[in-house]
Amino acid sequence: MPITLRALPCMSSPLLALSQLTKSFGGARALRGVNFELQAGEVHALLGENGAGKSTLIKIVTGAHQPDGGTITVAGQIVAGLTPAAAHALGIACIYQQPALFPDLTVAENIALRLEPGSALRRVDWPARRTRAHDLLARIGASIAPTAEVRTLSMPEQQLVEIACALGAGARIVIMDEPTASLTHKEQHLLYAVVRDLRAHGVGVIYISHRLEEIFMLADRVTVLRDGQSVGTHPVDGLTETALIRLMVGREMTQIYPPAESVPGETLLTVRDVGCAASGVKHVSFDVRAGEIFGLGGLVGAGRTELARVLFGLTPADSGEITLAGRRLTLRSPQEAIAHGIAYVPEDRRRHGVVLDLPIAHNVTMALHRHLFPTSWLRFGAERSLALEFIRDLAVKCAGPAAPVGSLSGGNQQKVSLARWLATKPRLLILDEPTQGVDVGAKGEIHRIIRRLAREGLAVILISSDLPEVLGMSDRIGVMAGGTLTAILPGHSDAPTVMAAALGSTEKGAA
Amino acid sequence: MNTAKRDWKALLTRHEMLLLYVLIAEWLFFYFAGTTTNRRGVVVGFGTMDRQFDILRHSCEIGLLALALTPVIITAGIDLSVGSLLGLCAILFGQLWHDGGLPIPVAAGLTLALGALAGGLNATLITALRLPPLIVTLGTYSLFRGLAEAITRGSITYTGFPETFLFVGQERWLGLPTQAWIFFVVALAVWLLVHRTTFGRTFRTIGLAPEGARYAGLPVERRLALVYVLAGLIAAIAAIIYTARLGQAKADAGTGYELFAITAVVLGGTSIFGGTGSVHGTLLGVAAIAVLKNGLACLPVVMGMNAAEEMSGLLTGALLLLALTASVLPKILANFRSRPHAPAP
Amino acid sequence: MKTYFRELSVAAALVVVLLALAVFAPAFYQPQPLLSLLTREAPTLVVACGMALVIISRQIDISVGAQFSVCSVCAGLLAARGWPIYLVLPASAACGAFLGALNGALVAGLRLPSIVVTLATMVTLRQGLNLVRQGEFVNLPDGVQWLGLGQTAGQWLIVLTALGFLVAFGLGLRHLAAGRFVYAVGSDAEAARLAGLRPQLATFLVFVLLGALTGLAAMMNVAQSPQVQPLSGSGLELKVIAAVVVGGVAISGGRGNLWGAFAGLLLLACVAPALTHLHVEAYWEKAIQGAIILLAVVADGLRSRKGGHR
Repeated sequence: MPITLRALPCMSSPLLALSQLTKSFGGARALRGVNFELQAGEVHALLGENGAGKSTLIKIVTGAHQPDGGTITVAGQIVAGLTPAAAHALGIACIYQQPALFPDLTVAENIALRLEPGSALRRVDWPARRTRAHDLLARIGASIAPTAEVRTLSMPEQQLVEIACALGAGARIVIMDEPTASLTHKEQHLLYAVVRDLRAHGVGVIYISHRLEEIFMLADRVTVLRDGQSVGTHPVDGLTETALIRLMVGREMTQIYPPAESVPGETLLTVRDVGCAASGVKHVSFDVRAGEIFGLGGLVGAGRTELARVLFGLTPADSGEITLAGRRLTLRSPQEAIAHGIAYVPEDRRRHGVVLDLPIAHNVTMALHRHLFPTSWLRFGAERSLALEFIRDLAVKCAGPAAPVGSLSGGNQQKVSLARWLATKPRLLILDEPTQGVDVGAKGEIHRIIRRLAREGLAVILISSDLPEVLGMSDRIGVMAGGTLTAILPGHSDAPTVMAAALGSTEKGAA
Repeated sequence: MNTAKRDWKALLTRHEMLLLYVLIAEWLFFYFAGTTTNRRGVVVGFGTMDRQFDILRHSCEIGLLALALTPVIITAGIDLSVGSLLGLCAILFGQLWHDGGLPIPVAAGLTLALGALAGGLNATLITALRLPPLIVTLGTYSLFRGLAEAITRGSITYTGFPETFLFVGQERWLGLPTQAWIFFVVALAVWLLVHRTTFGRTFRTIGLAPEGARYAGLPVERRLALVYVLAGLIAAIAAIIYTARLGQAKADAGTGYELFAITAVVLGGTSIFGGTGSVHGTLLGVAAIAVLKNGLACLPVVMGMNAAEEMSGLLTGALLLLALTASVLPKILANFRSRPHAPAP
Repeated sequence: MKTYFRELSVAAALVVVLLALAVFAPAFYQPQPLLSLLTREAPTLVVACGMALVIISRQIDISVGAQFSVCSVCAGLLAARGWPIYLVLPASAACGAFLGALNGALVAGLRLPSIVVTLATMVTLRQGLNLVRQGEFVNLPDGVQWLGLGQTAGQWLIVLTALGFLVAFGLGLRHLAAGRFVYAVGSDAEAARLAGLRPQLATFLVFVLLGALTGLAAMMNVAQSPQVQPLSGSGLELKVIAAVVVGGVAISGGRGNLWGAFAGLLLLACVAPALTHLHVEAYWEKAIQGAIILLAVVADGLRSRKGGHR
């Protein structure tokens, strides 16, 4: 049975209290002591850079992960061993960016499957299902027909269905993970109204967003996470954007970056007004010179990976011009991009970057079939010596070129992914989150390799959500937001400037 | 993690070595249990050289289909239509020669082209329309057999092939059944394709990570298409050999062969989920099934029951189930072990 | 209206074929042959009910033909031993349910692909049956054919029973929670798990149900002749899958219904008599069935591509 509002025991204790939560994955400490408190009838914003620990925190509250230490208190009672089912029973609901709905079923049925208890042999009351769906959707002001199939809905509409589910379940605590990231302006305002409505009904809302104006408009309090720690909870009244940004990035550089020593040469890549409707990239213009590291900053979902996919021919551009070394290119497939000397080290290493079950040598030569094996005939000797060369060159720690990539650590897997593309001798190298999920030692090595490549005359586009990395490595920094390039900043910019551009803040503006 | 660390190649070799031991044990069993001396003092049964050649002769067609399916299954696909296509090609070949009046080599060449074309139909539907191979080839499985029946009106059997052609299917050349040489050549070609060229590499990569293959700039659609066209071509070769062995072409040629072929491939260590597998494993799988089938027929017990065909079919089906179960067990166990480890954020 | 576009277009195709028959071959519409045609298709319809469930839950079973044969022979042997009909019927269904459970356990328990599992069980069952029975027919005692009723009454009973199953399952799929779970599992097994359903259990049960229905259908077939043929079920799997897929049940799971499958079945069932009446040779039947399957799949493929699904 869904727990409804009357189940609240005493109003004085907070709805949800997290105290000194810690959580590690392998060696990486995702959370190191987070304190958080949510009152009934409050919208509490959770703010932090990418990787600050927000998603881990959500997963612990929804029962998907178990914390290593600390306590979770729901309505005054300490909860241990929270599971997804238990969280659901406690009235905790989460609206993810990617809804987990049934595409082939109607909206009414999707809502009903989450909410209806009872035996499998009971009769389905279709009119009641439709009425309930209609009422719930009306409550959040969504104009979605209960009889529509979910697969015909847009992503924001699907999110609204998720919200309706949460409402229907009588959730006391609703977590919203960047709910407006893919919404249009009008839909955003609809969602704000829903959030206010929830608050008015005594629901506690944890609101995660990168849009500062939203936080100022909606939230009562804001908690900032930084490096897996909560650095403070403040009432929103009396805070300024600048103060908030400083709270988010206010740390010293912990990493020493290798010094820039290359002198950028001729302009190699020119991108003019490039757009791709299918992936949401629009009006992007910039240049990259040979020997230059062009950092691409911005928040997750700002369109950086999408831009990289356009430049690599995975989702071809439908407008604008791409020129490489004076030649205008139409890139319709990765094969064409490779032929022109463009290389792309993708973000999702395990799914796209390497094939885990194949040996290192196969992975290294995978993009090089035409050049290394011009007759299609495999030359194992040549392959092996090439793989060995890169293993030595990039210091890949492994049993040998025949070892499967899956047996390597994350950092060494990343080096293999990098080696595959260096082997094609590219002119332009696009690196997408090259140090994500990589330990500190390997991170430094990868940074030195990137520097060396730039020194050798390679044009590098470095996409990273790690702000210090972008600042420390780049000669120039392009900042993206909403699928377009919003600012190009010099390499020695400071963190608040870049963050402000990425957040689309008006106070500080683009330098 | 421990299982992942184990050498990939060593694992494969191990599977094939195991299969080789099984094959040898199987052969020895039938050699001793299935060989007898008749009243006139002549050795008959499994142990005779004639019988060994017979095994080889009879395993060529299924062996060819298994060779055709190995690359398909390595790409995590399936082709259920190869048996039906064998029937259709046999009919087309008979018709081209008998009704069309074409010389045998021309008719054979045209049949090969038509087989590749039929494979191309599968390939187009699977790659251009991105339909699941299972349902596409289930449809063509019915279509090809149906066309064969329609062409022959269910009754025509093409016979009277010239001696020179029957030599391919019924005589020996250089000490071996003639068709065995064709089988060996195709096996060698497929082995080289899968194990020694970039094509085979790409098949494997597509089977393991189709998206990863696309990100590496590999021509995924073209390679997938190749695999199904090749399957059609090899099915046509099998059809010609089949016709030469029996001396006749009938619409029901090769009925149910796809099952034996799939069994041989899975038994040979190719994962039904794609990515891993080898042609020599498939050959061992074909041999294991052929020896089983013929060996059973030589056992006095089975001969008494007059049911060798059924028995070998039954055992093959059971064998496939066992091989499948064995193939997923390590995965399931590994899943159990790795469950406590959450993925890194 | 738009929701049932696929089903309606199959129904429209069926109407066109029926009209064409009315114009070019009015002989088709004699009551007795028509009833006989329906009686012959009745067992297929019952199996199709179960197959639709399996395909909606995103699986497939190509061993139903072999299951059908095994159940027929078992039922025949029991009847020949003097078991009364009211015991033979549940025994046949139980036999089918057991065979279905075997498939279900391998598919749901070990998560093996259903196509290969059922391919293997198909051959194992078929060859096992051949081995035991050597193709021998089972002679049935009096009172089994037409269940002891007259031919016409027996035919009506069989046809109406099959239609009863169709209506029961058609309504159950739509109006019972269990029916909706099947759709949910086929549409997205992971989302079903998150919504608190048990996809593996549902998959297993769906296979068991198909088996039981196949057992019943086998009995309905046994009751149509004085003997049981051990090969009675060969080719059934293809016929049933074709009917279901042509009727708009998506092979990718989660979509379609029994009314469409029924229309698909009738359409395919009309092919053979239509060929005869239109003086096309009957040997084209299989090829035309194959072409219809491919056509349906291609149409679905093109449609889902336009819809941008997945």
